[in-house]
Amino acid sequence: MTEPTAVIHDIGYRHYDGVRLGRGRATLALGVQSLRGVFGFGRTTRAKIMPLLLMAIMLMPTVVSIGVMALAKQFIMPYPGYAVFMQAVIAVFLAAQSPYLVAPDLRFRVLPLYLSRPLTVTDYVVAKLAALAVALFGLLAVPITIQFVGELLVDLPGPPHTADYLGALGGAVLYAVLLSSVGIALASFTPRRGLGVAVVIAFYMFTAAVSTLFYAVLSSTGRDDVAPWALILNPFFLVDTVQSALFGTAPINDEGYPPGIAACLILLAVIALAVTGVLLRYRKAAS
Amino acid sequence: MTASATPCFATEGLTKRFPRVTALDDLTVAAGTGVTGLVGANGAGKSTLIKILLGLLPPTSGRASVLGLDTATQGLEIRRAVGYMPEHDCLPPDISATEFVVHMAQMSGLPRTAARERAADTLRHVGLDEERYRPMGGYSTGMRQRVKLAQALVHDPRLVFLDEPTNGLDPQGRDDMLALIRRVGTEFGIDVLVTSHLLGELERVCDHVIVIDGGRLLRSSAIREFTRAEQTIAVEVEEGQRRLAERLAALGETVAAQGRLLTVQVSADDPGRTHDAVRDAVCDLGLSLLRLEQRRGRIEDVFKEPVA
Ligand SMILES: Nc1ncnc2c1ncn2[C@@H]1O[C@H](COP(=O)(O)OP(=O)(O)OP(=O)(O)O)[C@@H](O)[C@H]1O
Ligand SMILES: [Mg+2]
Repeated sequence: MTEPTAVIHDIGYRHYDGVRLGRGRATLALGVQSLRGVFGFGRTTRAKIMPLLLMAIMLMPTVVSIGVMALAKQFIMPYPGYAVFMQAVIAVFLAAQSPYLVAPDLRFRVLPLYLSRPLTVTDYVVAKLAALAVALFGLLAVPITIQFVGELLVDLPGPPHTADYLGALGGAVLYAVLLSSVGIALASFTPRRGLGVAVVIAFYMFTAAVSTLFYAVLSSTGRDDVAPWALILNPFFLVDTVQSALFGTAPINDEGYPPGIAACLILLAVIALAVTGVLLRYRKAAS
Repeated sequence: MTASATPCFATEGLTKRFPRVTALDDLTVAAGTGVTGLVGANGAGKSTLIKILLGLLPPTSGRASVLGLDTATQGLEIRRAVGYMPEHDCLPPDISATEFVVHMAQMSGLPRTAARERAADTLRHVGLDEERYRPMGGYSTGMRQRVKLAQALVHDPRLVFLDEPTNGLDPQGRDDMLALIRRVGTEFGIDVLVTSHLLGELERVCDHVIVIDGGRLLRSSAIREFTRAEQTIAVEVEEGQRRLAERLAALGETVAAQGRLLTVQVSADDPGRTHDAVRDAVCDLGLSLLRLEQRRGRIEDVFKEPVA
């Protein structure tokens, strides 16, 4: 065999004496790289299909809504309800992308390489959570922002729904934080990506089904006082409750939700639990 | 030795107990600059020592320092200054070596442009050519080991920990990897701690060798003393083993009988003297020689030594 590298070997070794950035910048770089990956950038064509397809589906109601506003001068798609309306699509996105962010590093044992650098377990987890949260925020904020721009351009009779739009943006932040922490928590427990996808989607379907079922049973048996509590077992209704409590948007469910303060506390508790779970899991993986 | 000036690493009574095993047992050892070999059988505690030195695993008791930094409190500073090549596979299959090494350089704090340059340079230095643009899933073991080495070197560390870099390589690949490690230590000027369970392969590239067994220090010495002390000549004669042994002992050689075999310790100061003495003694006594072989230090001999 010839040795083509022999020639190149003659170039002497050069030391690096340029800048060495701190932990924060490395964390940022990891977050940015992860975020790009969530939307398929820098990955194979196959990996790009799913996120782009889901983004396109998320934009469909926007397109329809702008069309109706332009042609029929009617406002049909309130901003605060967008996420609940599209919850299945968002859940599929979460299920497809959370395992992508964490499973390969566990499965192919890349984690020790990160941790042998000036990056801590917390930095790693923060970068991954932030990447997914930003991606989810984008998934929600882009369609409603386009619709809002459309609404301003079409210039419907009456004032624009600015407060609703801003409330929905605030809600998008809540959705992003809750869903990313739950998604990463569930996905990080298995190094197998396919299993991770299944676990996240099963979690969503389970909570959605249980929530609907309990709500139906409780309301039909006259327990209207507790029925709203069943509703917020579904993470989307939980955030919707908090969104209406914090930003004054109209709730999706006419029958009413549990008190906003309780929902806020539950939301915080779920996020804290999920993030703690992820940190503990990675502390264990690191040793 | 310059070891005392700036030890690459030093441990003091380092002990690590896992629920079932004691991986490191009161280990006190230090290594100077250059290439240091860490030799021990499976489960000797080599990888555990490296993880403690990286500041990733807290010891049960004792202390350790790397480049003068305390592993218990200055882990981040240590990890900024060192590189680590794990013993296990750690390469995601669907991205190319270039992308991977660039990313790892960024994770070590290099800005993106610098990371690209360093990655290209480092991959060239470890001998990865056009293949570096292909996904790593299709790489041979030799190529994978090179990428693992490249990611440990890409940020130009002062010291690298290489955990069994020759693992899984064929004899040619092993020789290439060992030559590369030697270059890292000499030409690149990066201090190296390299582990293996074969003393034989490390003595070719190391300046200093540390041997551990069951988490205990068996021996730590410069390679020259090591091979000298371990070098023996094995002689087997048809008859007159006793006479030969007496003659050699009278000449001042250190002789031991192992069954039908005589082992003669090669003089550390004057190896030629021992060889001459054996040759002359066999001739003078008119013995018929069945076997005469030079024995290099091997890990088994080291393990035997405290007993002998
Ligand atoms: N996380 C752990 N939990 C429990 N025991 C462990 C752990 N890590 C290592 N050990 C045990 O500690 C001992 C030393 O392990 P270590 O991996 O350091 O050995 P080694 O010298 O690197 O061996 P090898 O040549 O097989 O890589 C072994 O008995 C191993 O089973
Ligand atoms: Mg090991």
